Formats: sequence, C-alpha cells, structure tokens
Amino acid sequence: MDASSAQVKVVFTTNEEDLILPESKRQLLVPADIKRYGLSRILNSESMLDTSSPVPLDFLANGTFLKTSIEEYLKSNGLSQETTLTLQYVRSLLPPVYEASFEHDDWVSGVDVLSSTSPAGLLAGDAAVNERVASASYDGLVRIWNPSGTAIAVSAGGKGEGHTQRINAVRWLSPTQLASAGLDRKVVVWDYKEADDGFSGALKPNMELWGHGKNINSIDVNGSTRRILTASSDGRVGLWSASKRTAPQADPESLPSAHITKRAKLSNAGSTAQRGPLAMIPLHEEAVTAAIFHPKDSTVAYSASLDHTVKTIDLTTQREVSRLTTMHPILCATALPGASLIAAGSSARHITLLDPRESAAATAAMTLRGHVNMVVSVAASPENDYSLVSGSHDSTCRVWDLRSVRLASSEEGGGSVSEPVYTIGREWLKGKKLPPAGDGAKVLSVAWDKTWGIVSGGEDKKVQVNRGNGLLAS
Amino acid sequence: MGPSLPSRKRKEVSEVVESDDEFDGAELEGILSQSEDDDDDVEDSQSEGEEPELDEDEDEDEDEDEEDDVRSGDEEGEGINGESNSKTKPDVDGEAADDEPNYRVVKDANGGVRYEYAEIDPVYDSDDSDAQGPVNTIGNIPLSFYDSYPHIGYDINGKKIMRPATGEALDALLDSIELPKGWTGLTDPETGKPLNLSQEELELLKKLQMNEVPSDDYDPYPDMIPYFTSIEEKMPLSAAPEPKRRFVPSKHEAKRIAKLVRAIKEGKILPYRPPEPETEQEDKYYDIWANEEPQERHVMHIPAPKLAPPGYDLSYNPPPEYLPTAEEKDNWEKLDPEEREKEYLPSKFDALRKVPAYGEFVKERFERCLDLYLAPRVRKNRLNIDPSSLLPKLPRPEELRPFPTVCQTIFKGHTSRVRTVAFSPDGEWIASGSDDGTVRIWALNGHQEWSAQLSSADEPEPVNMVRWRPSKDTFILAAAAGEDLFFIAPPIVSDATEQASRDVLDAGFGYATNGSSAAAATTTADGAKKEPPAKWSRPSASLVAKGVLLKFAVRSAIKTINWHRRGDFLCTVSPTGQRSSVIIHTLSKHLSQVPFRKLPGLAQTAQFHPSRPYFFVATQRMIRCYDLQRQELVKVIQPGARWISSIDIHPGGDNLIVGSYDRRLLWHDLDLSNRPYKTMRFHPEAIRAVKFHRGLPLFADASDDGSLQIFHGKVVGDLMENATIVPVKMLRGHKVEKKLGVMDVDWHPKHPWIVSAGADMTCRLWA
Repeated sequence: MDASSAQVKVVFTTNEEDLILPESKRQLLVPADIKRYGLSRILNSESMLDTSSPVPLDFLANGTFLKTSIEEYLKSNGLSQETTLTLQYVRSLLPPVYEASFEHDDWVSGVDVLSSTSPAGLLAGDAAVNERVASASYDGLVRIWNPSGTAIAVSAGGKGEGHTQRINAVRWLSPTQLASAGLDRKVVVWDYKEADDGFSGALKPNMELWGHGKNINSIDVNGSTRRILTASSDGRVGLWSASKRTAPQADPESLPSAHITKRAKLSNAGSTAQRGPLAMIPLHEEAVTAAIFHPKDSTVAYSASLDHTVKTIDLTTQREVSRLTTMHPILCATALPGASLIAAGSSARHITLLDPRESAAATAAMTLRGHVNMVVSVAASPENDYSLVSGSHDSTCRVWDLRSVRLASSEEGGGSVSEPVYTIGREWLKGKKLPPAGDGAKVLSVAWDKTWGIVSGGEDKKVQVNRGNGLLAS
Repeated sequence: MGPSLPSRKRKEVSEVVESDDEFDGAELEGILSQSEDDDDDVEDSQSEGEEPELDEDEDEDEDEDEEDDVRSGDEEGEGINGESNSKTKPDVDGEAADDEPNYRVVKDANGGVRYEYAEIDPVYDSDDSDAQGPVNTIGNIPLSFYDSYPHIGYDINGKKIMRPATGEALDALLDSIELPKGWTGLTDPETGKPLNLSQEELELLKKLQMNEVPSDDYDPYPDMIPYFTSIEEKMPLSAAPEPKRRFVPSKHEAKRIAKLVRAIKEGKILPYRPPEPETEQEDKYYDIWANEEPQERHVMHIPAPKLAPPGYDLSYNPPPEYLPTAEEKDNWEKLDPEEREKEYLPSKFDALRKVPAYGEFVKERFERCLDLYLAPRVRKNRLNIDPSSLLPKLPRPEELRPFPTVCQTIFKGHTSRVRTVAFSPDGEWIASGSDDGTVRIWALNGHQEWSAQLSSADEPEPVNMVRWRPSKDTFILAAAAGEDLFFIAPPIVSDATEQASRDVLDAGFGYATNGSSAAAATTTADGAKKEPPAKWSRPSASLVAKGVLLKFAVRSAIKTINWHRRGDFLCTVSPTGQRSSVIIHTLSKHLSQVPFRKLPGLAQTAQFHPSRPYFFVATQRMIRCYDLQRQELVKVIQPGARWISSIDIHPGGDNLIVGSYDRRLLWHDLDLSNRPYKTMRFHPEAIRAVKFHRGLPLFADASDDGSLQIFHGKVVGDLMENATIVPVKMLRGHKVEKKLGVMDVDWHPKHPWIVSAGADMTCRLWA
C-alpha cells in the first residue's frame, strides 16, 4: 500500500459547545499525510460541522498541538498507523500581533491598564471607562497613555510632589485613581482627572504613604476594598489604605523629615498629605519581591521573596499562614484565579506554579521553562484560567498554556513542564537575535487585559502593546 | 638337598640291595607326608623306601626315553620346592643340626658301616622334634583371624591354644634391657610367641643368605663314582646282544623329523628367526591416556575460538563491494598487525588457479608450532584503562547546583575599563570603579542609579578598588582612586540609613585633632618630625553634594582596600608605598597606622581574618598572618606562586585561596600546611581576582583570558576530611582588551550570583 494513500482512523472530540459534531460523524478515516489545515477544512465542510463561515481549527493530539502531518506525528511518537487517533479540535488561535509602542524617556518599570474589562474598570460599573495605560518609568514619572499612543498626562516629578527616584510599579485603583511606588520607599496615590475630550489629563498626588525602609518592589491593589499591598526590599509587606480618611497617620520616624538631609528637605517641599500603613508585616529575611491579593478573598494575600519562599498571609491577623519553599529566589508572582495557583517567576529563568492550598499534595504543580533570563513579571490571562504571560530580562514575553504539559526529564528536576505557546519579542528587535543577557531590551513589566491585549514595558524605554485575546484555545 | 637328589637316585639304583631291609616303607610314608624336610639321614633312609617305585620307573624308561626325561625334570622341580621349604623352616633343620649326632658309627660284623642310635632319654626337656609344644592346626590362614579371640588356634587335640601373653609395657622394657639369647624381635606366626633363634640357626640363616651350603657336613663336591666305565669289558656281565633300537633308525624319530620337515616346508617353522622390522620395535606406543577419566574443565580454560563461517570477502572472487578501496588498503597496511580488524584483505582473482599460495603459510605454521610447544595460550589482556576512571570521584557539576551559569545582566556605562566591582551588603546594589575615574552604583537589573567622578574628568585617576562597609545599618562605600580613598554614602537608600552612614563617617572629625596630636607626640618621642601616614579630610563641595563625604590621602597609589568585618577598620595596600605600603585605618577616629616597620617584599594585598584578630598580608610570594592583638607573626604561607595577585579567606577562616599572575589558583588549608592543598591551572592568562562566596560553598576566579572559573569548594567542619573542590563552570563573555580580561569579581552575599568587572568597560552579572 502506498504511503500517500495510507489512512488513519481519527476520532474528533471537542470542548467547544457550539462546535460539537453529531455522534455519528465523530469517527473518520483521513489520509495519513493530512495536516492541520486539511483537517480544519474537513471539519468545516458541509458534511461535518456545516459552519456558515469557516472556523479555523487547531487540533490537539494527546495534549499537544498537531503541527506536522498525522503520519509524522504517529511516527515521532512511535505509534502504529493503525491506532485510532483522538484529535481534540479547538478554535484556531492567532498569534499576539504587534499593535503599538509608546516611547518613554527612561526605562519603563511598570505598566497597568485601564479598560472596561480591567479590574479597575470593572469597579466603575456601568460608567464608560476609557482605555488607558499607566506606565511607571525610571525617570520617576507616571504617564497615562491613550490607545493612539499619546501621553495624556504625566505626573509631576522631581522637586515638587511625586517620586524623587525611580518608580517600580504603578496600579490603577479606580478609573480616577492610581498608586505608584518606587525606590523612594513611598507609595503615592494619584488622582487622575481627564479633560472631556479625552486628550489631556492631570495627575495630582493625593497622598504619600510612608513606612517602608527600603525600595518598594511591587504593589498590588484591591479596588473594591481600596487596599494596597506593597512588597519591599526591607523584607516587609505593607498593607495600606488608599483613602485619605481611613489611612492612619504616618510614623514620624519613617518620614523623611525625621532626618535632616538636604535631599530630604527638598523632597519634603511638597504639601502632599502623608499617611502610614495599616499594617507592616515583617515576613521575610530578604527582599520581598511581590505581594498580591488573593483574587477572590481580599483578606488573604501572598508574598514572594528572594529567600525562595512564597507565603500566604492572613491580612486580618497579619500573620503568615503557610509557606511554600522553592529552589530559587522568586522575583515576581501572580495568582491564577481559576486554577488557584500562584505563578512565581524565579531568577533561575523559569516560572514555577505553586499550589498554596494546605491540602495540596505537591507544592510545585508545574514548571514553565523557556526563558533564558530572570523572569521578573507575570500576568494571568483575563480570558481563561489556564494561560499566563511572563516578561523576562531576556527581552521576551512568553505566553504559556498550562494545558500543554509534558513530564519533565530527571535533569530538569522532574515534575511536569510546559513550554511557551508564543514568544513575543520586542518589536524593534524583530528579526534579530535576542541580545545577550537581554541587554538593552529587558522586559520589566507586563500586563494582560482583554481589551488592551498584552502590554509590556522594559529597558528599551517603550511600552509595547500586542493583541491579546483569542491567543489560546478555549 | 635338591641338587643332590638326582645323583642319589642313581646311587640308589646301584645300592638298592644294601639298604633295602633297614626301614619299613609303610612307616616312612607317614613321615614324608608330614614333612619332606627332615635331616639328611632320615631322608636318605626315606628315599630307600621309594626305591621300588623308582625301579619300576627305570624299567619303563627303557621303553620311553622322552617321558623319562620329562619325569626327571619334574623331580628336579620337586627338589627345588623341597629346598625352598627347608628354607622356610629353618628351625626344624636347626634343631636337627643343633643336636649332637644321636648315633654312633660302628662296624658291623661284615665290616660295613652301622649306625647305632643312642637311647632316647624321655626326660622333660628332652629334645623331641615331634613334641615341640602344641602345633597349631588352623592351617594356612592368617593369624589375624583370631585377633578377637583369646586363643590363636587349636592343637592337634582340638584344645585351644591360648594366646601367649603379649609383652606388656614392663615386659617389653625388661626384654629390651636383657635380651634373651637368640632374641629376634619377631613373633612366631604359628605359636604367637616371640621367635627366638639359636646361634646355630642364625648361622644357618646367614649361610643361606650368603648362598653357601647350609650344613657343614655336606660336601658339595664329592668324588665322582664312575658307575659306567668307558672300558669295554672282555667279559661283560651281560652277554645280551645289542638291542635293535641301538642301530635301527627310529621310526618314531623319522616320523617326527618328517613332521618337522613338513612344517618347515609349509613355513610353519622357520629355519631361522625372521628378522623383525626394527621400526616396529621402536614404534612402541603406550596409551597413557587409556585410563583417563573425563575431568571438569579448569577454571582458566579458554575454549578455542570457533571460526566464523567464511563470508563473501574471503572468496577469491568476491563481489566488488567487498573489495577494499585504495584508502582502506592504505589504512590496513598502516595499522599494526595486531590492531587490524581483519587479517586479510579481500582480493579478486579471475580464476581459482590464479590464487597464489598463502603468503603467511610458513609464519603461521611456525607460530602454531610455537603454540603447541610452549602452550602459550594466554588471554591477552590489553590494559584498556580509561584515564578518567583513575581520577578521584568528584561529584558531577550538575549535582552541585546552584552556581552561576549564564550572564544575566550587562552593566554598560563606564567609558574605560572597569577595575573593580562589589556587591552591597544587602545584595541590592553593585558598585563599580573604573579607569575613567568614576564610581557607579547599579541596580541588579543593569540600571545605573548613581555615579560620581572622583577625580578630574580630564586626567582621571583610575578607581582601583571599591568595597562596601560590611554592615547593613549603614550604606558606605570606600573607593580608592589613586592616592586618595573616598568614603561614599550614596543617596539611594532610606534617609535613616543615609543618616546613620553620615554619622559614622563624621564621627572621626572630633578625634581628628586628638589623633594628630597623639601622632605628633609619638613623632617627638622618636625625635624626628614625621607626617602621619594619611591625611583625613572632606572632599570638595561638589563631591560632598554627591554623597562623597570623607577622604584621606596616603603617599602612594592605593591598590587594595579591605574592610574589617565590624566596619571600623580598613586596610589599604599601596604596593609602591615601601614602608607605609600597608596601612590600617580606623574610621571612627580618622586614624591611620602603619603596622609594619619593614615588610619583606612588595605588599600586594592584605585582608582581615573573618572571625579572629588576624591580619593577612600577601607579598609577591608569601602570605604572612599576624596576630593583631599579640602583635606577632603567626604563620607564613608559601603558595609557591611567583607573583600573588589576590587572596581571599574562606568565611570559615581556615582556608585561603590565592590567585597569582602566573596563572595559578591555589587553595590553602591553613591548619594543614603552609603549602597549597590544591593547585589549579585552568586559565591561559594571569588570574586577577579570587573570591569566596560568603554563604554558599562556591568560589570564583577572574582571569585576563576574559573568563571566570566557578568552583564548588566545600569545607567540612570535620578536620579529618579535606575540602572538596570541583570546578563547575567557566563563564565566558568578557572581551579581552589590551591583554586584560576580567579585572575583579564579587559574589552576591546570599544568592549564587556573581558580578565581574571587565576590561571591556562592562560589568556582568552571572546567575
């Protein structure tokens, strides 16, 4: 029998409710040399799904996407041609296409998005929410961008109010409020007002929150309870209130005016209200790199640190509830709401998925490998529960699908391992090799929103926007 | 006796009449059956009893000569038997010889000889040969059959012959003391008693042994008595004519001769002995393995290899694909005969008759003969030792994680080669100093946070060394640029920390006057006006605004600075400073002291012991360890390097690594010896810097070849165990510029991250 005429029996299954085949049509004999496109055509044909417009489909064979012909797949997996192959078909995905870049004066250390689908936007309820990106830069300024790439508002910097040193993170508290924190150890809550035409706006510091002894590495906000969590290099996690009324007075010792230095005097020139923390929780021996709220329970938070641990904090008692120890210093963390996992990016160039639940048998659920430099930012997908994007110093963002899993070899330390689905490079580096050590193009922050897509900022002084919806099969 | 018998027979024939009436034949018959070997005389008389039979024999003889001959031969045989019997029973003979002749020879009335026998005196001890104790009648069976019985047999009356008491120990002893006469030590098998032999018997035995005639009165050479004379009697006794048989040829003989002739003719009898073929005689084979039984193979037995069946390439006309190409042929010929995979090269011939003789025939036969002759079939054990297996077992680098493997950040900004680099005590900042005269402070992600030009930008003094004050409460960086050393409190940390740093730096200004006055006092005591070794002062206002708060100047360029662990003392080394090359500075008092009056050699680097009040000073070839409290030399370490570039002391305090410009990295165990425990040469160029990790079992060196070598160096508290040193990673990335590669390294205080300063104007962070 000629190889080209060989046929393989396949069974089509799917999770897509609207694309289910009738029972009788699920089994089919297809030519062995058929590829994804052919299979998609077959399924879209009148005799099968009979879709009004062709739906491009992808096929999962045993958990991995079929990229070659069926014949080659069988051969590479050591299966005989007579086996019945089960193919799960999902809506085909489009790669994260580049959309725009916003130029900055200095490195972009933090980005956050505001849209009707972002957490802050959702708080606004029915009110129309403009699509904005807030970026924090190493020049100490917070900028607000609209989708067309214009900086609508820039915070006052330097001598006046605002940050005197670089900013590490910025977050939208609500469509009219932001919080930013940086090397100058304070959290600044900004009021953002926009002109009616939407082309100009103003950022005014609402209050400064003092309390940390060192660099604040990241902040997280909970818009509904108006709480802010900060992670600082002094090993403490700060819990703050975002409203001036509820925030307690700052400890005078922590204020810069306590130390009469020239620079402190200068920074103190502003008349911004100064407030202190609701709680300052010493948790880690070393710098805390991330503190995040539980996605559903605002009284629970997680903190990740360079001392290899991820801790669960009960915010009402401000105690450590449990800790997960990993092998490497952790540089960033995010919670995956659906999978109740924590994705922690480590300095060992991978992302560990940790299960913080007490009942979990194994703490490290999965390892995502692929980055070649420290992973400094992760963001969960807004659309589904099984994908996330990570930004790394190797100048790439990578999109991961937790469903495509393989068992790790013993060299990799066992467990299950996943590889990235998409790799988003910096647009200006397109077609070139990755710079050594991510030099000049490190990604420092990444955010993923349904409306905006994947927004990443980095050492190249740019915020890059890539299309972000429909990247992964549902 | 034997030899005498035939002659006597003849005599008897003649003397039949004489002795006929002497004995009664019937009586003698019994004696004969009893024992044939009585003394001579008895036998003589006996033989007379046989006479009638002999006579009949004689008569018959006349008819059949041949039978007679045979018979006589038989008798001779008997005679021989008789002699042997007499030998076995010498006692009987001896007893006979022992006695005096119990007869007298008298002349009878006729004048003949007459034997007159003595009367037998039947006393107790009378010699009666018949009654010599009980005779054992058990016959010719071994006496051992009676071993389990108290008796040893039965006498003629059926009574048990009791076993004579065997000599007990005492008896044996007595016997051995006084040997009875004729003691032999033998046991008479018949009686079980000790066998004693008399002197006569012993002599008889001796004679028998000497092949002499046993009895004295036997004359072996008697005078011949001519019974038949050759003289023809004129008056013969018998006038009978000569019997016919004397002259008629015997038909019987003729018959026999005819028989023989016929046999000869037929070839049954050969007239001569046929010559036996000599070869047959020589070729006498003995099948020495005839009775060989199958045996187990020896453990070392090696079965002869079984030859594989011939393949196509052995054919005289192989398919062309089996023929070797010219290259293969060359290779084959170049190889050693022992290394060749095949002993032959396939070759092609048109016809079998064109195949030449086997060229190696003679050699092969010869070697096979050698094999057979020497049986040198030895298992040829080629010594195939993997050289790596001889190395001591070291853990694989993969098992020794974590250690830095890849470059993670490149710090770009310096405009000239970066001389030095240091991690801040909290591990968040990296300070670097460069030939462009700047000190820069970087965040770990490569962002430059702070920088200061310490000397004029036009003629920059290279910043040779930056070191952080080892304390987390303050944030003070010491930077050596030329002859000046600057203390910097960079304004990038919290105000509280910055304030603490400023306080620490300014604390000494109160002491400054006191210190100088004290110094002046010492100099006046010496009698000579001496300047203090260092002048402490505020730097220029622009630098103070930057955060550079304090400086001092020594007389020559500072190459190395190292902090004491408490952060109050600081040592500087300026190799060209001669007497004041090593200076210890006290930050809290702004005081500088020269601890050594004179140093042997050029000081290269100096370091405080991490836990004890020791101070290590490295000159070009030696490292000296001083006790600062007792002010004495504790130890001299000789690494054997020609020019030491840098040293570092293990945080445990018992080990030391030394990097040298002659490309060596040396590990010293201070407790073990003053010689290096391990010497490592991995770099083709000079080693510029060595550094231990403060927490993890790691150390690293930096070399001018642009690479860093990371080692796993585990020090065990147990004194019995040596340090495990495994090179785990070579980090390459720095470019070599003007023969300078990596100038300095420093480890992150906690994590396995290392930062290196390169001559290519960059620093790199490796993780």
